[in-house]
Amino acid sequence: MEQAAVVSFWFAMALYLVATVLYSYHFVAKRPVFSWYATFATGAGFLAHTASIGLHWGATGETPITGSFNSLSLTAWTLVLIYFVVEHLVKLKLYGAVLVPLAFLAMATGQVLLGSESFELGEAAISQLDSWRVGMHVALIMIANASFAVGAAASGVYLLQGAQLKKHKTSALMKRLPSLTQTQMLARRAIMLAYPLYTAGMLLGIVRAIEFDLNWWFDPRVMMSGVVWAIYGSYLLLHYRRGASGKLLARLALVGLVAVIVLAIIARTVPTGFHIFGL
Amino acid sequence: MHLTLVGLSHKTAPVEIREKLTFPAHRQEEALSLLLSTPDVAEAVVLSTCNRTEIYAVTVAGSDGPGAIVDFLADYHDLDRHELVRYLYFSEGEAVVRHLFRVVASLDSMVIGEAQILGQVKEAYEYAFANDSAGRIFNKLFRQSFEVGKRVRSETDIGESAVSISYAAVELAKKVFDNLEGRTVLILGAGKMSELTAKHLVSNGVKTVLVANRTYERAEELACRFCGLAIRYDELFERMREADIVISSTAATHYVVTKDKVAAAMRSRKGQPLFLIDIAVPRDIDPDINDLDDVFLYDIDDLSGVVESNLEERMREARRAEEIIAEEMVAFERWIESMEVVPTVAAIRAKAEQVRSAELEKALKRLGGLSEKELKTIDALTTSIVNKMLHGPTARLKMVAGEKDGYTYVETARFLYGLDANPEGRATHAGLIKSLFGRAERAADKSTQNEMGDTIGC
Repeated sequence: MEQAAVVSFWFAMALYLVATVLYSYHFVAKRPVFSWYATFATGAGFLAHTASIGLHWGATGETPITGSFNSLSLTAWTLVLIYFVVEHLVKLKLYGAVLVPLAFLAMATGQVLLGSESFELGEAAISQLDSWRVGMHVALIMIANASFAVGAAASGVYLLQGAQLKKHKTSALMKRLPSLTQTQMLARRAIMLAYPLYTAGMLLGIVRAIEFDLNWWFDPRVMMSGVVWAIYGSYLLLHYRRGASGKLLARLALVGLVAVIVLAIIARTVPTGFHIFGL
Repeated sequence: MHLTLVGLSHKTAPVEIREKLTFPAHRQEEALSLLLSTPDVAEAVVLSTCNRTEIYAVTVAGSDGPGAIVDFLADYHDLDRHELVRYLYFSEGEAVVRHLFRVVASLDSMVIGEAQILGQVKEAYEYAFANDSAGRIFNKLFRQSFEVGKRVRSETDIGESAVSISYAAVELAKKVFDNLEGRTVLILGAGKMSELTAKHLVSNGVKTVLVANRTYERAEELACRFCGLAIRYDELFERMREADIVISSTAATHYVVTKDKVAAAMRSRKGQPLFLIDIAVPRDIDPDINDLDDVFLYDIDDLSGVVESNLEERMREARRAEEIIAEEMVAFERWIESMEVVPTVAAIRAKAEQVRSAELEKALKRLGGLSEKELKTIDALTTSIVNKMLHGPTARLKMVAGEKDGYTYVETARFLYGLDANPEGRATHAGLIKSLFGRAERAADKSTQNEMGDTIGC
């Protein structure tokens, strides 16, 4: 079963890669048939990915939230799921060329970290994980991270389109990219959805951490998640209270995603704190 | 059967001639019935727009199809035949298919990429279909041409870029706001160009029009045309906060809209973008405004540059459209081949031979122990039966295939024998393709076309 999980995982990665190429080609060449193939490849990859997560769980007994490999794989899975929602809502395949490769990179990073990571969960750690709060904490944070990624992708597109419009020259890129207000709205809605989920996820984690460790805040990932929370909090505050410019908000959304990536990958490798189970 | 086209367009005839050769909707039925009453014409479609009049026809092999159509045009419009021929172009065979596909793809239009032509060709075909003047070949050809039109519009950007200043402004506004529904436009100055631009914006969904002019009465006059609101000139920057798009075309000799004023207005817009169009010369809006976040300023030169680059892009996209046309021509050619009599007869014979061999093999297994001579006799007997059974139908099929509507017999035979594929490949097929596409006679036709002042390729 474990072998089947590995095969499904690689198969999903290959399909995501194919989808990335197809989405990109569709964006450049505007061939509707390729966008259909791209969605098909993403869908097939998603099914293979789902099978891989399920089979791996069944074979090893490791929950999908333990270890870098599992949690990054689950993050990628959530990202693809959220992408399908976005594609359905905004009817744009462009974001497939950004979000699907991001999912691919998350999986590839998980695969790289798998080789360098070795940890055994002790009984204390297992008892810490044994709570509905931990499951909810991880699920909420992952959905929030995927939504932050959507917000950042839309913000990146916003900056690109804004720069094209400022240059006063029409280009194929400008014509292919969606309008500023559309990208702005997608970014804001994605971050607006993600922020309360992230806050709830953090609070659940904090409550659980306090039960076991009074120095719960002395953990690189907890600290980093505070930074992420502050960045996106500023984003919403600047937008709703200050009416900040679209450009500033878009840059902030990108900075936020960088912080999320640092938290998800780099802070994971720091050998201190209580997040020893790779969450 | 020949595919024939006789027509004239903005490229070959001035408007004084084009207007004499139109076929308005209410006269199409009469025109089509007159055309079909000619023994040389089997199918016909009349395309009549302000820029072209074209008659597409399937003409009977061996007849003077183009001549018959010219006679029809001259008689119908009461024009001198020799005078008329000077403005006409003629195409036959494959060139007709290519021409139609190019017309539908709007590659032959006055403004490349314009969208109306597809609808106009559809309308022309629908008239022909309703009047029974479009048969099997034109049903296929025109429906495929619509596919070409759709593909060209969806797979290329040929029709996506604006080629006029006012449309370029609308197009850019849509890149900022996506949808202009419910947006507010502020017109500064009451020039003709700003009025035209505002008109396009309103037709694209802009809801509120505010007009500011030094002379309030003129502002009121213009606002009235758009059911908008005239505002006092000194309220300009206060009202700019409500506007999404500003069009300026005053006669001022200095900047009327300055950076600090716009920056102040932007502060209360809560990050909402502002799109400014400065059509005035000398300019009304300080170009430094473009440096402000969320502010996008285009002056007349910027818009002209956009139009120019859009025109260039349409030309580039036209090359991609030609590739699509080439692909679709191959598809049409394949269909024509499937209507071919020679491969159809060959396929019928191949199928019969397959059945004969299989049945013979079964029978021989049951009989067993037959001598060489007996085997040969049985083989010859079955072959002879099959040949005699097929001789009559295939001979008659070959005979009628060249006649008017002969392809319907071929099609029926293919249906009855269940032939879904062409067994011999494309190379050996000649008859119908030669006939419809006129390949064998192209060399002979060339001299005639030159004589007639042919302008194929437009």
